[in-house]
Amino acid sequence: MSDKKLLLGSSPHAFSPVDTPRIMLSVIIALIPATAYGIYLYGVAALGVVVTSVFFAVLSEFLFRKLLGESFTIGNFSAMVTGLLLALILPPSTPLWMVALGAVFSIVVAKEFFGGLGANPFNPALIGRAFLLMSFPAAITSWSMPKGLALPADALSTATPLNLLKQGNALADVAKYFGAGDTGAFYRQLFMGYRSGCIGESSILLVLLGGLFLLGIGVIQWVVPVSVLASTFVFSWLLGMDPVLSLLTGGIVFGAFFMATDYATRPLTPLGQAIFGIGIGLITVLIRKYGGFPEGVTYAILIMNALTPFLNKLRVKKYGFVPPPKPAKTAKGGTK
Amino acid sequence: MSIRTFRGGAHPPERKERSGNSPIERLTAVSQVVIPVNQHFGAPIQPLVKIGEFVRAGQKIADADGRMTVPVHASVAGIVKKIEPRLQSNNSEGLCIVIEPKEAPEGESATEFMPPLDPFSCTREEGLARIRAAGIVGMGGAGFPAHVKLAPTKPITWVIANAAECEPYLTIDERTLIEMPQKVVDGVAIVMKLVGAKEGVIAIEENKKHAIPHVQKAIEENPQVRAGMKIRIQELKTKYPQGGEKMLITAITGKQVPSGGLPMDVACVVQNVGTLCAIVDAFREGKPLIERGFTVTGGSCKTPKNIIAPIGTVVGDLVRAGTIEIDEASLTKVIFGGPMMGVAVPGYDIPIQKNTSGVLFLNEEEAKAYEEDTCIRCGRCMRACPMALSPALLAIATEGGDYADAEKIGLLDCIECGTCSFVCPAHRHLVQRFRVGKQVLRALKQKEAQNVR
Repeated sequence: MSDKKLLLGSSPHAFSPVDTPRIMLSVIIALIPATAYGIYLYGVAALGVVVTSVFFAVLSEFLFRKLLGESFTIGNFSAMVTGLLLALILPPSTPLWMVALGAVFSIVVAKEFFGGLGANPFNPALIGRAFLLMSFPAAITSWSMPKGLALPADALSTATPLNLLKQGNALADVAKYFGAGDTGAFYRQLFMGYRSGCIGESSILLVLLGGLFLLGIGVIQWVVPVSVLASTFVFSWLLGMDPVLSLLTGGIVFGAFFMATDYATRPLTPLGQAIFGIGIGLITVLIRKYGGFPEGVTYAILIMNALTPFLNKLRVKKYGFVPPPKPAKTAKGGTK
Repeated sequence: MSIRTFRGGAHPPERKERSGNSPIERLTAVSQVVIPVNQHFGAPIQPLVKIGEFVRAGQKIADADGRMTVPVHASVAGIVKKIEPRLQSNNSEGLCIVIEPKEAPEGESATEFMPPLDPFSCTREEGLARIRAAGIVGMGGAGFPAHVKLAPTKPITWVIANAAECEPYLTIDERTLIEMPQKVVDGVAIVMKLVGAKEGVIAIEENKKHAIPHVQKAIEENPQVRAGMKIRIQELKTKYPQGGEKMLITAITGKQVPSGGLPMDVACVVQNVGTLCAIVDAFREGKPLIERGFTVTGGSCKTPKNIIAPIGTVVGDLVRAGTIEIDEASLTKVIFGGPMMGVAVPGYDIPIQKNTSGVLFLNEEEAKAYEEDTCIRCGRCMRACPMALSPALLAIATEGGDYADAEKIGLLDCIECGTCSFVCPAHRHLVQRFRVGKQVLRALKQKEAQNVR
């Protein structure tokens, strides 16, 4: 036998080809249709937001880890995912310096301060958006009309469907605002995504496409998105809102597939995930109905993120589980 | 016939096609045998022979008193050359008896087998005594004494022949099913008789479908089956670790072995096909367990095949004799056993033991090592764990030293199959941590018990 050194190591000696970079890359691929459509709708402004957000997310991760002398993690594409997700939940008219600030906040404060990938308790992209919304409420709530759609003559500024509904407008008027003939056509228009809103969340069709792709290749599981959407539907209906409209407007579908499914911040156990999803739907509906904001997905997910460690206690029963013997009744009071 | 399985698991690349089609090759002439004294799970035993002594094939050369002991026999006739510690396939040194083959002196026999014993007319005690005397242990890997396993203290309904062979690469069980199906079926019948079981089930993974007609024919021709014994084949989904004892029982009976319990708690006895063949030999020929079949394969093995060789055959001797050809340039890892649960060893001058199911010679690509990354909490391990142990959470508990929580999650229930580490996209050393964690937890519990006393 030659003197060549053989590798040792504890079993297993085989590994799945699905690794972290591959998972992150598949999320990016799933987001491409929605991103492309957003850029088509809002033009260069949207492209600027996407590029700025991704660039500063990756740069800030690199610099922060360099500062701390930690290994570089650009190769796992996770900063790229965070940057892209943040861009897609911002209005296309967001000033680029704000986008950059939000991206840096997402990565450095929401992620790296807690130990980086996998250790952050709150969804970094949503923290970035919440931070911008609180710091610059005017900028983060001004909207642009999508390409080819003019602002109605009597409107002063662009609003989203949820804005208009919150202000007490009738559905027919909202439909007219977006150039739809009747409410049926308006529903179809919302499903396709031809309306004002954040860059990546308007087209339900394309978001679903990306979400189903991730479900299909096993990157995400169905429990979280289904429970979020079902609970939004049920609670909207219970509170006297149009449940279909609740799903078609705002960022609930995008949030259900791309934000609530974030690995680090959702519970790991199936039961925990179901409660997590139901909570997100409930809080979203409550904010939309009673809150000061027209949309509540961001805060709903962040609030439920805080409960994740507790929901992780709801573990599946292990194989061969034997319930611990109950203390005998006769022992009651007798052992004091 | 429905195809059954268990919850969880994974699909490692099978790579069985390399050696799956080559018939078993029987080796008799070896230049030496290095027989480890302790090859079983249980209490240690001692050598019974001295250096310079002539031993016959089948002669007992090591034994001890005690229930959890199994004797060891000389696998060839020859002179005991050395009795010294050698590196064993479990990667630690153990006492070995080195025998150099030599023809028997004039007028003496080269073999020393027991007289045949009819398993269907002998008593249960005689049968169990025969199995112990033949030195039979679980040949699937664990090396658990067969006479202990076959003496359950609870009534048994099912005898399951484990022919799942869920470990990638390995094909010896597959070849055994194709080439000696009668022996396997006979083995099932003998074990059923011993434990008083109602039904025998030969469990085969779907990827070995082609073996099913052979086994089916053997079942139909078996005299015990003709006399009314019930033996059937159960097809199983190809999924690792389908051949794990608990997974097999659940797939076939739908019952779960209770935590901390044994297969007999759900009326099952599981035996590997190799073990069944050894049991048949012990009764029909009086032959102790002195040889076994195993697969040699891997990307750096130029001659992937299945071999039956004497216990104690040194793999390096087979390489030097040209029986196994190796591409030294690409050889990166040598494994005794399968790639999921086998042991990586520092060289191949190591003897085949009673529990060696294969020797793998892996090339750079197959043995690629990865650096451990951070947990991204994707939950893949949670879904893959066949014991439903939440490995991601178990890892947090063991790393944080919270052994109370780890025990509650089920650290001691871990079967160490390695599925969690296989599926982990960050290549976390999950099962490796649990192996260490189990020992720490057991030590802690022992200490606690002493303090209470």
